[in-house]
Amino acid sequence: MRSKRNVWIIALMLVLSLVAAACGGGDGDDGDTGQNGEAEGDAERGGTLTWESEEFSFTGGFDPVGEYLGEAWGVYTNLLLRNLVSYKHAPDAEGNELIADLATEVPEPSGDGTEYTFTIKDGVMFGPPLSREIVCEDVEYAFRRIATETLVAQYGNYYEGVIEGLEIGKDPGKGGISGITCSGDKEITFTLSEPTGDFLYRLAMPAAAPVPEEVAGCFKRAGEYGRYLVSSSGYMFEGSDQMDASSCDSLEPISGFDPDREQILVRNPDYDQATDDYRENWIDEFHHVINTNTNDLEQRLDTGDNDIVYTPTPQTLRKFVQDPELEDRLHVYSGDRTWYVTMNLNEAPFDDINVRKAVNLVMDKDGLLRAWGGANQGEIATHIIPNSMLNDTLSDYDPYPSENFAGDEEAAKAAMAESKYDTDGDGICDAPECKGILQIGANVPPNTDMLPIVEASLEKIGITLESREVTDAYTPITTVARRVPISIRPGWGKDYPDVYTFAVLFQGNGIACEGNYNYSLVGLTQEKADECGIPLNNPDIPSVDDKIDECYAVSQGPDRITCWGELDQQLMEEVVPWVPYLFANVVYTVSGDVTKFEFDQFSGTGAWSKIAVDPST
Amino acid sequence: MSQAVEDLGLPIQGPGAGQDTEEIAGKSPRQLFWARFKQDKVALVGVGVIVILAVLAVGAPWISSNIAHRGPNDISLAREMTDDFGLPVGPNGTYLFGADKAGRDLFVRVIYGARTSLLVAIFATGISVSIGVVLGIIAGYFGGKIDTFISRIIDMILSLPLLLFAIGLGAACGTTKTGCNFFFLEIKPGLGLVVFIIAAFSWPYIARIVRGNTLSIREKEYVEAARSLGASNRRIMFREVLPNLVAPIIIYSTLIIPANVIFEAALSFLGVGVPPRTPSWGRMLADASRILDVAPWMMLFPAGFLVLTTLAFNLVGDGLRDALDPRSGR
Repeated sequence: MRSKRNVWIIALMLVLSLVAAACGGGDGDDGDTGQNGEAEGDAERGGTLTWESEEFSFTGGFDPVGEYLGEAWGVYTNLLLRNLVSYKHAPDAEGNELIADLATEVPEPSGDGTEYTFTIKDGVMFGPPLSREIVCEDVEYAFRRIATETLVAQYGNYYEGVIEGLEIGKDPGKGGISGITCSGDKEITFTLSEPTGDFLYRLAMPAAAPVPEEVAGCFKRAGEYGRYLVSSSGYMFEGSDQMDASSCDSLEPISGFDPDREQILVRNPDYDQATDDYRENWIDEFHHVINTNTNDLEQRLDTGDNDIVYTPTPQTLRKFVQDPELEDRLHVYSGDRTWYVTMNLNEAPFDDINVRKAVNLVMDKDGLLRAWGGANQGEIATHIIPNSMLNDTLSDYDPYPSENFAGDEEAAKAAMAESKYDTDGDGICDAPECKGILQIGANVPPNTDMLPIVEASLEKIGITLESREVTDAYTPITTVARRVPISIRPGWGKDYPDVYTFAVLFQGNGIACEGNYNYSLVGLTQEKADECGIPLNNPDIPSVDDKIDECYAVSQGPDRITCWGELDQQLMEEVVPWVPYLFANVVYTVSGDVTKFEFDQFSGTGAWSKIAVDPST
Repeated sequence: MSQAVEDLGLPIQGPGAGQDTEEIAGKSPRQLFWARFKQDKVALVGVGVIVILAVLAVGAPWISSNIAHRGPNDISLAREMTDDFGLPVGPNGTYLFGADKAGRDLFVRVIYGARTSLLVAIFATGISVSIGVVLGIIAGYFGGKIDTFISRIIDMILSLPLLLFAIGLGAACGTTKTGCNFFFLEIKPGLGLVVFIIAAFSWPYIARIVRGNTLSIREKEYVEAARSLGASNRRIMFREVLPNLVAPIIIYSTLIIPANVIFEAALSFLGVGVPPRTPSWGRMLADASRILDVAPWMMLFPAGFLVLTTLAFNLVGDGLRDALDPRSGR
């Protein structure tokens, strides 16, 4: 009996503790949307900015050639790397304007549009341990790295076939890319195979930043160089000056970068502010720290131990929206990114355009926005390309309207009734192909919260899903052979401020059997299907490659925007590969120690080179 | 006791000595068991809780249709039951236990979760006990190389990092419709896989217990007697040894059920359990952990039921052990 009594006591304590934990909590009230706005206040030089996040989200070991997400890009472009051209590290349209960074000016292309010549500024240095001027060969070496197959350039396609002589896998030696020539140390010329209106944007991407061969040349495999990265901008990894770069054998990882814990950046003593018009460099140190406990890193915002929360949880967002004293510490910006449900045009029942249209009509997009956390997370997407990238030319375009974006069941059924999978024409998909369809999503919010909404929406038209929640949902959907019919996982943000970076998602000639981003397989051919080892179930998959090529050739300006808008409409009405549902915002909450906040529209992160903290705290 | 006193020819002492006494009949083992068990009020409470849970689990469809008037995945009231930030509303007149983050009725989902937990636990326990008893008896009875072989398999399975294995299996076999094939088995996430994993990794425990008891029982005189009378090994194992293992098997089974309930909850928590549409206490706890500070009811109710279920089975197991084997110390 004694043991049973103890069991009862322990059980009672357990239940009481649960009850104690349950006390509190409450309903949410209706809240206003957050406000944009920089934190007003005097920005002073000094202090440490701490950014805690659950993970680094690095895709290539922090080697610039292999990094493809905004978190790394924001650190690169603001703090560590300077490109020939860059951005103003500002929000909105201003933040998408190109400026001369390493170069003395942003050049115009030569007469036929295939040649760009830059002059590198004097006095722009690599930081410790090299402490030397950046020269033409350093820029050229960056492109040689892009062409080196073992380094796995994440967006090498932006340069291969564009710059003459650049072929990935060719592993060129010095001077091996015919389309890049140096005239002395300061002049570099790019010769393109054809006019490419957005080429300057491609030069602003981190992989194109100059790289010192005497250090990076020691590393032949993807992701290795990141821990030895030499700065060309206002900050460097702490401990860079301790790195012995006299030989490859003497190199040791820089102490200020532990891939499992933190990045510590301090001021680069070789940086000359006079050469830089757009980085303000208020802070003395930048700490990017891993904290896997989301609740903890948000609570540390209150204590000032953490200064930045990127994408706060709904409960934190609600707190900041509803508390007038916290309003100024909430920053919401347009993210130039679309979140969507992707449908595989080669897999039943999504090989039927009427089914895809029905799915678009029935989807409860308002519910999905709510699952994301409400209106602060963005605006409901009614087409593919974010309005901000089309200069709002399609802001009123909604080919699949419904009241309050909650889905139009009747219209969806009418579309489904046209489908071969609705055998009796009642608007309900009754063919076996509509039952138990595999759906892949992430096992974390908001995917887990979206799933019931998507399932309930599709059930209205007779489509049932067999959903799997997985840790890494991108791997199966980027592997063509997995033949995933539908996924709620994907989203896409611009690589640079040109719609071409969205158009690449629909290039049939860009389908890759592994690492594919054309999840819907738009433009899939028999040849490509054979290459990827899948059957071509739908021989009538439409292609938009011609339209993409047409828009690609148009010069920068309103006509190009118009052309891309036409592509968007063609995709939404004649191809229907997605159900776009959210043009996402980027949301930051900051601590009270942040005296000035700025957003970097290019990377979609904080403009770390313009953010200031109170140095006294 | 009374039988022994009569044999000695001694008078039976008691109240009213010299008066006529009732004939005292001996009790069967079953009667003795029940007499001891029903004296254990705590165990009886455990039984009552299990019965109530079973009724709720079996009656979940009826409850959802006739009392709650909505199913476990019904989101028709999601807009009313979540705020503008997508955060759920707490217990109210419409949703007894409050809403979850998708705006679903938590009460209905908790009731349906009982079906998942009990089904998985009982099936998995049944399978693991069956496998463990058979292999344990064989290992303990025959000894020698057979015992060594089976014992090494047990050691190997016990040394496997179970949760990592389950996560890996989910990742490998969870992203295609047909899952993956292992010889003749089709492995894909679902209730079947959960039962398989739990059963496959819990049978060694009972196998060891049964083996140990068998090693002891096979030396008993009645086993020797059966052998000398020409009984086959199979007959001896299942007619002489197994009946004497009933008590530890029953006790262990009732104790392993709550462990398997927790196991299923852990697998669901990690995302390798039952499909998302199927309510599971473990998955509910995983969802609740992210917004515990603003929606504590999301954890309170599934956790409370989980604790109650685990406790009830543990108390019943304790009671069974005390009733079946009173020599065990209290």
